[in-house]
Amino acid sequence: MLSIIVCIKQVPDTQKALFDPKTGIIGRNCADNIMNPDDLHAIEMALSIKDMYGAKITTITMGPPQAVDVLNEAYALGVDNCVLISDPRFAGSDSLITSKVLSRAITRLGPFDIIITGCEAIDGNTAHVGFQLSEFLTIPLLTQIHNFQINSGHAIIERLYGHEYQKIQVRLPLLLAISKNTNRVRIPRLYELKTCTDRKIHMMTMDDIGGSDQEYGTAGSPTVVVDTEIFSHKREREVFAGDCSEKADMLIHKLKKHNILKY
Amino acid sequence: MDLSLTKSQLMIQKNMRKFATEVLDEWANVLDRESKPLPDEIVNEMGRLNIWGIQAPVEHGGAGLDTVSYAIVIEELSRVSGSIGLGVTVHNSVCLAPLLKFGTPEQIERYAPDLASGRKIGGFTVTEPQAGSDAASIQTTAVLDGDHYVLNGQKAFVTNGGIGDLFLTAASVDLKKKIRGIAIFIVEKSMNGFEVGKIEDMMGMRGNMVSELFFNNVSVPKGNVLGTPEEGFKISMQTLDIGRIGIAAQALGIGTAAYEAAAAYAMKRTQFDRPIGTFQAISFMLADMKTHLDASRLLIYRAADLKDRGLPYSTESAMCKLYASTTAMQVCLKALQIFGGYGYVKDLPVERFFRDAKITEIYEGTSEVMKIIIGNEIIKEFSRF
Repeated sequence: MLSIIVCIKQVPDTQKALFDPKTGIIGRNCADNIMNPDDLHAIEMALSIKDMYGAKITTITMGPPQAVDVLNEAYALGVDNCVLISDPRFAGSDSLITSKVLSRAITRLGPFDIIITGCEAIDGNTAHVGFQLSEFLTIPLLTQIHNFQINSGHAIIERLYGHEYQKIQVRLPLLLAISKNTNRVRIPRLYELKTCTDRKIHMMTMDDIGGSDQEYGTAGSPTVVVDTEIFSHKREREVFAGDCSEKADMLIHKLKKHNILKY
Repeated sequence: MDLSLTKSQLMIQKNMRKFATEVLDEWANVLDRESKPLPDEIVNEMGRLNIWGIQAPVEHGGAGLDTVSYAIVIEELSRVSGSIGLGVTVHNSVCLAPLLKFGTPEQIERYAPDLASGRKIGGFTVTEPQAGSDAASIQTTAVLDGDHYVLNGQKAFVTNGGIGDLFLTAASVDLKKKIRGIAIFIVEKSMNGFEVGKIEDMMGMRGNMVSELFFNNVSVPKGNVLGTPEEGFKISMQTLDIGRIGIAAQALGIGTAAYEAAAAYAMKRTQFDRPIGTFQAISFMLADMKTHLDASRLLIYRAADLKDRGLPYSTESAMCKLYASTTAMQVCLKALQIFGGYGYVKDLPVERFFRDAKITEIYEGTSEVMKIIIGNEIIKEFSRF
């Protein structure tokens, strides 16, 4: 039976979160915590593979104890096992160290065939973890998946490639990074919603994963977020005066000035 | 005392809202305008989600939820479509629930899995053209003939009547005995002599195929009597206690939808250079709507909680139904007023909410019958002194 591991993350609901422009930090206490939207689609991908070929799905997340909520949600959707990696010594880890922790935890969970992650998280938006994880685990990574099948130990994958579809045959194990356009996430059954909070969550700490304090958390992280700003764009209206030819010249001049027209 | 919902109940609320918004919403207006039922694929998907067996035990194919969770599901479905909420609540609380409560192991084994999965849709029918609030005056008869009862008569305003496969049907085994002569029969659509009459052309709830049912010498096996033949009226009354929580939750869902639409519109609609919601006349209306809806919700949760704890809840069930249905009607009236002319046209759903809300004051016991139940309890309590 296929073994699938889905990496998920609990994030503040950035649609409701209040961003403090002075500190550059999202006020997490003001927002509901939710499962990262792309990760829901990663779980759906795993469930659809399970529906087609049979599989055991393990969902794994690294975060504070309240991250158990997204694992409950994963159980409700139909995964088989859930693992929470939680240790204060991991606090402040950047994407590289998060990937290192995840890769070490995954290795300790035993052999796997497919790892699935979301493409990016809505809190950090780095889209690093899928790529870094595939490097740590030395397995191929595929993105922009359109269609997925398995045939004799190989995955046959159709993926978006610019304006075309690319069909690729890859040996397992592999890693898929899934975005929210890939599929439609199923609604859990009421029975699963009722019982998901009673299911067992397997806990892991640094002691289970190995390594030293210095490798993890802020100390081990090579990147630091130095500044965050609210992204905004302003639309300005300008009316050109003159006849058609003069207006066209003014427009071309303007477009060249802003590097939109180069020649 | 903790009035907050559990983690599971919050997840149920979130996911049912998602299902209602993503899947059912596009059908709400279609069902209303064309007066037709949900397509089979949606009914089947609702079966997969356990919506046809919300409280039925897992071994019979249900979700085994508590009654507060049940009310949450009905509220969320009804926020999008009163008609869909109606079909679900009647099927669950006045067909499947009494079957599970009063049925024999054989009856449960035979009928519950199909009902809980939505492979069969159920209804419950007491009302007749001449017997509404006065349920004891029903004229449908059941005459014992060997190992069968032969049913003759007519039922009116049967929810799910046009699409249902199985109906718990009240009929009198002895008209002279009045209340004590009423028995409840499990009647299948496929039985000879069973006939669906006119589908009612209603003001609201037009997506539910409410109909007449005719029984012309319908031969029902003795084994299809629910409980004993003498228990029929008691079963009916206890069934309606359960059903009223569902109808209250339905009224709450319709009212909440109207309130939220009105509040959003009031902050968007500008007159005299400011959003109309900032005028005190409108904000007071919204304040009343929100307060009464929250009070309805708490009354519903209390009745549901009493039921789950095995305590008497008949009066509380009547109170939550009375209050939630009155509130739904008043909230829809105010919402329509806030929308002004736009509320009166069919382009927006407010007029549908308004039409759907009215019936919640009438069916599953009128508001006046609710007051009789509550009043009788008060008389009983205070005549002791």
